[in-house]
Amino acid sequence: MLWVDKYRPKTLDKVLVHQDIAQNLKKLVTEQDCPHLLFYGPSGSGKKTLIMALLRQMFGPSADKVKVENKNWKVDAGTRTIDVELTTLSSTHHVELNPSDAGFQDRYVVQEIIKEMAKNRPIDTKGKKGFKVLVLNEVDKLSREAQHSLRRTMEKYSASCRLILCCNSSSKVTEAVRSRCLNMRINAPREEEIANVLEFISKKEGLQLPSGFADRIAQQSNRSLRRAILSFETCRVQQYPFTVNQAIPPMDWEEYVSEIASSIFKEQSPKRLFEVRGKLYELLINCIPPEIILKRLLYELLKKLDSELKHEISHWAAYYEHRLRLGQKAIFHLEAFVAKFMSIYKGFLIETFG
Amino acid sequence: MGKGKRNSVVVISSSDDDEDKDNGFLLKTGFRFSKSAPTRKNPKRAKRLSLANSCSWPLQPSGSSGFDEVKQFCEEFDQGFTQFKVTSGSRGNKDLWVEKYKPSCLEELAVHKKKVEEVKTWFEERLRNCADDAQNNVILISGQAGVGKSATLYAIACHLGAEVHEWNTPTPMIWQEHLHNSNSGMRYMSKLDEFESFVERVRKYGLVSSSFTKVSPSIILLIDDLPVVNGKVSYGRLQRCLHLLLQSIRLPTAILINDYSTYESVDQHSRYWEELQQSLQSAGAYKVTFNPITVNSIKRVLSKICRVERVEVCDGQIDDIAKASGGDIRHAITALQYLSLKALPICSLSSPMRLPAYPQENGNCSGHLDEGFSLPFGKDATLSLFHALGKFLHNKRDARSLVTSDRDAILLKEKFVRCPLKMDAPELVLRQAHGQARLIADFLHENVQDFVSEEAIQDAWVVNSYLSDTDLLLSPPTGCLVRKFEAENVTQSVAASVAVRGVLFGNTNPVSSRWHAIRRPALWQVEQSLWCNKRQLLSQRTDVHSSISLNNLSILATEFKPALNWLGHREPEETDGGIYSSDKEYHGISLDDKDDEIDNDEIEDW
Repeated sequence: MLWVDKYRPKTLDKVLVHQDIAQNLKKLVTEQDCPHLLFYGPSGSGKKTLIMALLRQMFGPSADKVKVENKNWKVDAGTRTIDVELTTLSSTHHVELNPSDAGFQDRYVVQEIIKEMAKNRPIDTKGKKGFKVLVLNEVDKLSREAQHSLRRTMEKYSASCRLILCCNSSSKVTEAVRSRCLNMRINAPREEEIANVLEFISKKEGLQLPSGFADRIAQQSNRSLRRAILSFETCRVQQYPFTVNQAIPPMDWEEYVSEIASSIFKEQSPKRLFEVRGKLYELLINCIPPEIILKRLLYELLKKLDSELKHEISHWAAYYEHRLRLGQKAIFHLEAFVAKFMSIYKGFLIETFG
Repeated sequence: MGKGKRNSVVVISSSDDDEDKDNGFLLKTGFRFSKSAPTRKNPKRAKRLSLANSCSWPLQPSGSSGFDEVKQFCEEFDQGFTQFKVTSGSRGNKDLWVEKYKPSCLEELAVHKKKVEEVKTWFEERLRNCADDAQNNVILISGQAGVGKSATLYAIACHLGAEVHEWNTPTPMIWQEHLHNSNSGMRYMSKLDEFESFVERVRKYGLVSSSFTKVSPSIILLIDDLPVVNGKVSYGRLQRCLHLLLQSIRLPTAILINDYSTYESVDQHSRYWEELQQSLQSAGAYKVTFNPITVNSIKRVLSKICRVERVEVCDGQIDDIAKASGGDIRHAITALQYLSLKALPICSLSSPMRLPAYPQENGNCSGHLDEGFSLPFGKDATLSLFHALGKFLHNKRDARSLVTSDRDAILLKEKFVRCPLKMDAPELVLRQAHGQARLIADFLHENVQDFVSEEAIQDAWVVNSYLSDTDLLLSPPTGCLVRKFEAENVTQSVAASVAVRGVLFGNTNPVSSRWHAIRRPALWQVEQSLWCNKRQLLSQRTDVHSSISLNNLSILATEFKPALNWLGHREPEETDGGIYSSDKEYHGISLDDKDDEIDNDEIEDW
């Protein structure tokens, strides 16, 4: 088991970061009336952990007994029936799923599941806890239509089920949905907090942690706790006992992006552009989201760039990221950005060095 | 024809009053007659048409005779026209010149002599020793439509004194008919079913249908119209069926195959035909390919027809028809008939008055040649996709200075000015190539970098930015719940136009032309393997690391997977070289069969 999972706090009391939020959540749940919740914040900040702990707080240990299912839904959409297959994680009290995996058909999924859950409403012997919890991940990736239908179903079935929504950016969730939920902003943990968690883990694992090493990992982690723990574990595999200036293995795709960046700096020509395209293709094939590629590439390019150009390049990166999200084929826009960079950079070189 | 006459139309019809009264009267009656024509849908057009004809004919001063003639002409014209329309489908109608001048002997064939000879000797051999079982008795004749495949066959049969027995293509069934039939309990038989049973029958019993009561010396079986197949399964059936036929038929059999491949190279359908031909050939069928008929032989045939029909059509026009037909003689003859339909009354009347008009007409003819598509006859020129792409990518321009355009054009800055294109408007080329926006954009994106000169990274960016625009246009609109297909059609064509014009505009000094292979967009393969990898990742999500929550894809790909690679966690094959080693490129989804087919298409210097 990965450390990320092994040391995931199981209860709200054991949470190491965001302790205040955890305590508030606990109070909220013990009063037995839980509104719909919307957790948002950058990745690796502990949203899921909090949600899981919250569920456990609500339903006791039985919330941990989950099973994974590949469920098929037959949705009757007017003239035709649609088959949707989705992986769900469920216990007797909750269902978790990523509706955006269904892509285009996400709205049917949301509606159908909530309906189904409302139908077989669990009845406790004591007649309590008469609702189920539906955890929806990546709500910001839901299509507009799906969010609309979500809003209606939230109102209609609010007696029988509670929704916990989870997303990175609340700006892509419609106002209607946001206003029906209690919004919980989960910040990215500070570097000291991350270092604390790493020290906690090393104590549990019985590892010798040289001072400053945890801080270095925390610095490199981009304030993502998950990433920090993952790279901590890889460091452990690579070399133990730790040394203070031990290299922290970078993510392979990030290395690859920095390779791309340096090859862009070396030569600016259509031929090089073509090579870069091939490399971008490989990143895309390995499921690295194009937005992240663009972001990382910009980061790498800015590192070595003359500050005179930084503003302009950032502008174009933003421009093409916007188009990337609007368009369908990411490579068109990524490549256009690279070409634009090459063009600007070459012009700059000619101007300065003749 | 056309231009000069049309001008005269305008003059006469607009100036009713300065002409003498007879003329005005005549014209009006002319209107009336043509209006009563039964086949016309649009009276306005009809007026123009008949006017055009009546006016090209020199008006004679004597009123009554003129009236009669016009009347006669109109009737004739209408008759001719209706007949033409109604009967154009049916066989054996002698009013159709295509049928009337069907070659009856070998000498009349416009097909190249060698080919005819080849086919003839093949049949002679087969007919001579038809008892001999060892040989294959099937000949494949392929060629574009209208190059005289069946005509050759009939002519040869006639020459050899054999009887042609043709596979009668069942008439297609319309839906109402089908409903009626199924109500009355008849089962629907697909054309393929019918063909199969026909082949079965012929193989087993030979041709002993009721129509063959008298014993004819020798029979040739002709399969002209193979049933259309769609999809692998039915294609397999057809192939099997034909192979059976090939193996066991005793009669000399000719299978005619239309060759579409030159036009619609992207079409799945034509690929089937090619495959079929190859497989039949390898099974022992004898194959003859007819080339498109040369312009000269078409011209010869046309002028012969003109002589026989005593129609006077100038050489220039015959030339036009022959060139516009693209080697399709049937088309050429029909076009000629259409043309002479107009000229018919002229010839029947006194001709000397007309003679002076000749030089002027000739001039018109040559003028028309340039416009090409304004001819009333003539096929729509189609281009293969690769031809069109080649045009766009090579980006040929006139090097001459731009003196012509400065008069009424908007003044452009120096950097926006481009030399005029050495091709039709890009949209026209697109239309001719039936280019779909997405396809065009993908292909251009894949290949355009090869054509941008090495120094011009700025150009590369301009091109890329236009392609990025194209992608935006092509992506389905978000936010609106109702899809408007009409609007989408427009966006499609706009997107294609943006892509093409962007490429043409952006690439300021294209690489000097040389041979280039057009690559198939790698994007397609990338998308496939991306999809495949996604599935894999998602399925691993639950079993590789026993995380109790579902993580989303981007986190999996960017954080867990690299970490797992380092940890060597249950993925032994990925740990050794890292995931980006080149041998694992594209994760081995093989699309090879498609690959080499398209890759072989080369763009030459058009």
